[in-house]
Amino acid sequence: MKRIILLLASLALAANTFAADKLKIVTTTEDLASLTREVGGDRVEVNAIGKGYQDPHFIEPKPSFLLLLKNADLLEVVGLELEIGWLPPLLDQSRNNNIRPGGPGYLDVSQGVEILDRPTGAVNRSMGDVHPSGNPHYWLDPANGVRIAIQIRNRLAQLRPADAAYFDQRLNAFKLRINEANKRWLAALAPYKGAKIVTYHSSWPNFTRHFGLDVVGFVEPKPGIPPSPSHTLELINLMKEQKVRVILMEPYFDQKTPEFIAQKTGAKVVVMYPSVGGAPGIDDYLKVFDRDVADLLKALK
Amino acid sequence: MLRHRAISLVMLFAAAPLFAQQPPTNIEDRVKQLEQRLDTLNQQMTAIRQELDALKSGAPAAVTPADAEDLTKVEVAQAPAAPAAAPSIGDVTTINNPSDPGASKVFNPDTSVIGNFLGKVGQPNPYEFGSDDVRRPMNLDEAEVAFEAFIDPFAKGKFFLSVTKDGIDLEEGYAQFVTLPFGLTAKAGKFKALFGKDNTWHAHVRPWVDQPLVIHNFFGDEGFNDDGISVSKAISNPWNTYIEATGEVFEGGVANVFERRGLNDLVYNAHVKAFRDISENNNIEVGTSYARGTLNDVHNQFAGIDVTYRWKPPQRGLYNSFIGRFEAIENRRGDANDTLRGFYASADYQLSRRLFTGVRLDSADRFAAGATPTDRGVSATLTFWPSEFSQLRGQLRRMRYGDVGRSVTELLLQLQFSIGAHGAHTF
Repeated sequence: MKRIILLLASLALAANTFAADKLKIVTTTEDLASLTREVGGDRVEVNAIGKGYQDPHFIEPKPSFLLLLKNADLLEVVGLELEIGWLPPLLDQSRNNNIRPGGPGYLDVSQGVEILDRPTGAVNRSMGDVHPSGNPHYWLDPANGVRIAIQIRNRLAQLRPADAAYFDQRLNAFKLRINEANKRWLAALAPYKGAKIVTYHSSWPNFTRHFGLDVVGFVEPKPGIPPSPSHTLELINLMKEQKVRVILMEPYFDQKTPEFIAQKTGAKVVVMYPSVGGAPGIDDYLKVFDRDVADLLKALK
Repeated sequence: MLRHRAISLVMLFAAAPLFAQQPPTNIEDRVKQLEQRLDTLNQQMTAIRQELDALKSGAPAAVTPADAEDLTKVEVAQAPAAPAAAPSIGDVTTINNPSDPGASKVFNPDTSVIGNFLGKVGQPNPYEFGSDDVRRPMNLDEAEVAFEAFIDPFAKGKFFLSVTKDGIDLEEGYAQFVTLPFGLTAKAGKFKALFGKDNTWHAHVRPWVDQPLVIHNFFGDEGFNDDGISVSKAISNPWNTYIEATGEVFEGGVANVFERRGLNDLVYNAHVKAFRDISENNNIEVGTSYARGTLNDVHNQFAGIDVTYRWKPPQRGLYNSFIGRFEAIENRRGDANDTLRGFYASADYQLSRRLFTGVRLDSADRFAAGATPTDRGVSATLTFWPSEFSQLRGQLRRMRYGDVGRSVTELLLQLQFSIGAHGAHTF
């Protein structure tokens, strides 16, 4: 009996030690959290600040997030000013020097991905809520998903060199899985290559480029500016002229205007999920594409 | 022997095509190959020119073919790497480094200006809110100029200048130390005291055109804002609640609130706040504050409590949200040998992405020579945000001042507009 108690006690101690040994990682979005779990496996404990069904531009910097940031070993951000409206005050109050920009625990994954929509001329706010360094919704390209995972692997291996081989193995397994899935997604959408679509916000340039879709307009007149009646009328005419059959939108925007446009043009509104956790069942990075490709196919057929 | 010769001949014939695949040594063959390459390049150039012409003519760009690359071979996008092996000294040539004389401008602080344009209609108000107590039907009340940047790896510098027709006033200017040991943060300079909620806000953060009566009557137009030092610490606890304690010391130069009588006669302020998520959609923040200093050679003390409840479901948060606020302050004035009390309670609801409405109830005693009349008020607001960077607000305000026999009804109109890079505010 004594032995059993001793064994249980040592097991509990070992479990505790192991749990305490996990790298504590905070990510600004659930997509980064999912990719970190893919690479980090059981060696990491990951929490995301933003929810998948939330507009990542407008997250409230609640003090409860400070409880996560205070003890984090690593903070992963999307960058390109996606989080500029809410992350800086959280970092200032985090009392954690490691996770400040330039610190060993700060990883801006935009550094190693392919970025689209970089403005080439002068940028000002008459253009709406433009991102001067490029479009931050780049994770919606599976190739960028791999690039993000590689950067996460590199940083995890720096922070925990003893587990580098483990992270490599998990990264390679992820690459194989996403590569197979990517072939499936491309094959499914191949017949609709060149299909003209309209999106609500400019969140999908990487996705539409990857799958060969042609975005001819946006429901927002300018990024971040809600639809106006005159722009809506112009868009209806454009969609009729170009025979656009699909309006693609995010779950956190109001459907009223897209539905109105759809009614006038005969197009279909597809609510697509740009992030992990956007809807029940979308619980990892691959499932975002599984769901979005399936929903898009239904609308295009 | 014959067999050996036969094998050698077969091997020679077999080797002949292999030799044919080697790079041509013959000049004519080489010219032919170069011509072929030139043709290919010409074809590619023609294709690119056609694409460019199509783009220039406004025709829709051809859709890039889907990226069918092997994702297992994708690499991280990187800037061009330096040559792996160093050239020998004999091969060294000059390097054309890009010259950017303006590169040091990246160290310039984030700069912004926020304009606050006010309009007022209605009955004359004997206690006009505003910097000069003079009623103006239309007035660019203030331009707040803000500069923010990292000073060094340890601290940020922030300056907020209030520019009015009367001149320029330093509203706040402080160094914020964000990397102190023991989980501390600190500020040193001139800043708004962390007393309650409203006192810490700049005009553009406030959900109303005016200050609540309790802040105006107890701390004046500029609020409790002084030169001093502030130190904060987050308190660990087992309740999954963010608790922060702050201690502040001020010089004691807030007109009609704290006036120092000697070198060591400082003002002390303490604030504790607790924030907790009730659920994903709801959260609550409770704070308590206590400040003590000297006015007219006797103690002047303030104690306050503030409660903020927020409802903002993440999925609908762009369109609908609710904030309820309550703040009560008690002021023990030694010079009046009296205790003054006041509070405001407000509710603000977001009707749509750009439209907000709210109500506020006010009640506050006011120190007047020999008396402490109680002022009361009720306000309703309607706010429209054309974008994140401008807002248009109307506030219908009805006030009843304790020493004036009648109520005063006014309509306040406000246009706030921001240019430049203004740092995000603390929650």
